Amino acid sequence: MVKVEDIQQCAAGLLEKGQVKSVLGFRRGTAGAMAEPCTITEAAEAGTLVWDPTCLNNLALYLVKDRKQQAASKTPDIRPIGIVAKGCDSRAVAVLLQENYFKREEVFVIGVSCEGTGVIDPKKVATLLKGRSPSRVEFDGADGFKLTLRGGEMQVPAREILADRCLECRAASPALNDVVFGEPSGERGYATPFHAAKEALGASETERWAAWEHHFDRCLRCFACRSVCPMCYCPECVVDSTSFVIEPQTSAEEKANRIKWCERSPNTSESAVYHLTRAIHLAGRCVDCGECERVCPVNIPLRLLNTMLEMEAFEMFHYQAGHDLSQASLLSSFRDEDPNSFIR
Amino acid sequence: MEKILSKEKLREWVGKLDGCEVHAPAFADSVWNYAPVQTGGDIDLSHTNTVGSVKAFAFPQREVFFRFEQAKGGAPVLTATVPEPRPTVVFGVRPCDGRGMPRNDKVFSAEFKDPYYWARREKLTLVGLACNEPHSPNCFCQSVGGSPHSEEGLDVLMTDLGDRYHVKAITPKGAEAMERAGDAFNEAGAADQAEVERVHAESRQQPQRPIGDLAAIPEAIKQNFDSPVWAEMAQHCIGCGICTFLCPTCHCFDINDEATGANKGERVRTWDNCQFPDFTMHTSGHNPRHDLGARLRQRVSHKFLYFVENHKTQQCTGCGRCISECPVGIDIVAVLERVGQS
Repeated sequence: MVKVEDIQQCAAGLLEKGQVKSVLGFRRGTAGAMAEPCTITEAAEAGTLVWDPTCLNNLALYLVKDRKQQAASKTPDIRPIGIVAKGCDSRAVAVLLQENYFKREEVFVIGVSCEGTGVIDPKKVATLLKGRSPSRVEFDGADGFKLTLRGGEMQVPAREILADRCLECRAASPALNDVVFGEPSGERGYATPFHAAKEALGASETERWAAWEHHFDRCLRCFACRSVCPMCYCPECVVDSTSFVIEPQTSAEEKANRIKWCERSPNTSESAVYHLTRAIHLAGRCVDCGECERVCPVNIPLRLLNTMLEMEAFEMFHYQAGHDLSQASLLSSFRDEDPNSFIR
Repeated sequence: MEKILSKEKLREWVGKLDGCEVHAPAFADSVWNYAPVQTGGDIDLSHTNTVGSVKAFAFPQREVFFRFEQAKGGAPVLTATVPEPRPTVVFGVRPCDGRGMPRNDKVFSAEFKDPYYWARREKLTLVGLACNEPHSPNCFCQSVGGSPHSEEGLDVLMTDLGDRYHVKAITPKGAEAMERAGDAFNEAGAADQAEVERVHAESRQQPQRPIGDLAAIPEAIKQNFDSPVWAEMAQHCIGCGICTFLCPTCHCFDINDEATGANKGERVRTWDNCQFPDFTMHTSGHNPRHDLGARLRQRVSHKFLYFVENHKTQQCTGCGRCISECPVGIDIVAVLERVGQS
């Protein structure tokens, strides 16, 4: 079991010695049972850090956010940042490093192995409780969760409410780390990699299109899936016209002639363009942190789109995003043995 | 008009609403949301709150204002598209969403009567369902002047009494919807009245998120306009549109022309969102709400300061969606508490 005191001591030590300007971690929030992201800058705050299966967020997003803030600042502070990272989160850091978003010495990865648990999926909890939310979720240390509800408690087997990505996880311990807590073993044996995607592929093309049409129709285009994704760092999102950058020097002509690949209307065609474009832009980059799917207020199974492409990257190129920092990124490398029948 | 409807007769009532579009909460894709009810279909009113609010029935996320077309060499032709919806009855509206509607009504009629909104709104009958217990840990209707059995904005209020519903017509529109199925209802006796009062009183005793001094909030927000608190509270905001799109009272919109062919298109209104970067972007490139702190301040100020100044009431009914659905735990109640303390 990972001891939260270890994480707290590590964070406090880094801040005390001035090795990092801040530590990204989790704390108990006011909004419900799930932990919320926090940024601590003083060693004294380290005691507020928590670690449990409600630490859902991929905090690598905030490394990107800080980088954007520093780039816009007249007095940028590029001292390193400490980040509490699960296996998937550390893969996100690795992809950002591969893409030169920041330098290795600018981030201190406090790796935490998910060991035998992983994080819970609030959507599965909602299904179980038909929309009700627990006030507390605790891992019993073995193979189950205790949910505290209004007027009672409930025991649930772990695999029933663990996130799909955790059930399918191949690397629960962060390979990229400066320090790591918890057992390195990540084998859970709940489900094989790409299990959910392969299962979805069992349906016919017509059935699959009908399902996705249903999902795209429900999309609100709140852009939460894009906004929460650490890999979606473009200052302008090609499929979100609200993000188009206007500056004092942007001419009237430029503004008038901006191409909107995707209208604001949330209808099937526009939302399909939005989601499919995003999925393609993440091919070979998605680390399967599952954040896009988690944040979706209407529960579009977005992870399926992304893992489908990751499965292709794996099966065609034996590539796993963020697994090996020394590897060149999939889209910027070519090997003689890569399948290339399509250009013959 | 106050009546009693046994639970098995709910279906009969819905069946008598022929000619109307009927919507009710349905649990699909792991969320409760409004869905059309097929004629003779069942309604499951065991819902928490729907993820989308009832506002969309009068103010859909996409509304076509008019169509335009111009043949080569010809004059442009405009076609009006003011909607002519069928009467629509929505069941299971929670009192917080009910209270949202009169607030939206103010916005869409204060200076200009919006023909699109009102074309839908006038055909809308809202059948509310009192909350016998809070359906989320983030409920705070009573902290913003509402109640779990508020009648405000509803046409009918139903209260679950175990094996039966107490059904009260609030407006003539509501009474009309009930009269459609006159036979299905029984008279409410003195015992039923006593039971409703007991259930309502009990529901008011259930724990909710507290807001200290509601009356002091507008001044506290004004005093804290330049406070670092906003940036601090928005530090982990991802700038998505969940909080406002799900809100029962957020009503900002954008208008765009969309091409539907070579020489034709539509002028379309879509929901807009104060958390998006172009929301207050000026054509000069200046953006007065340039960061997420300023945008959080905008959202909170609109609800608890500007709307109070303009319409003498909060533009928040305490449904708690923005709190429960926020991916990073931003909590409007905690923000108000913090601003009140600074």
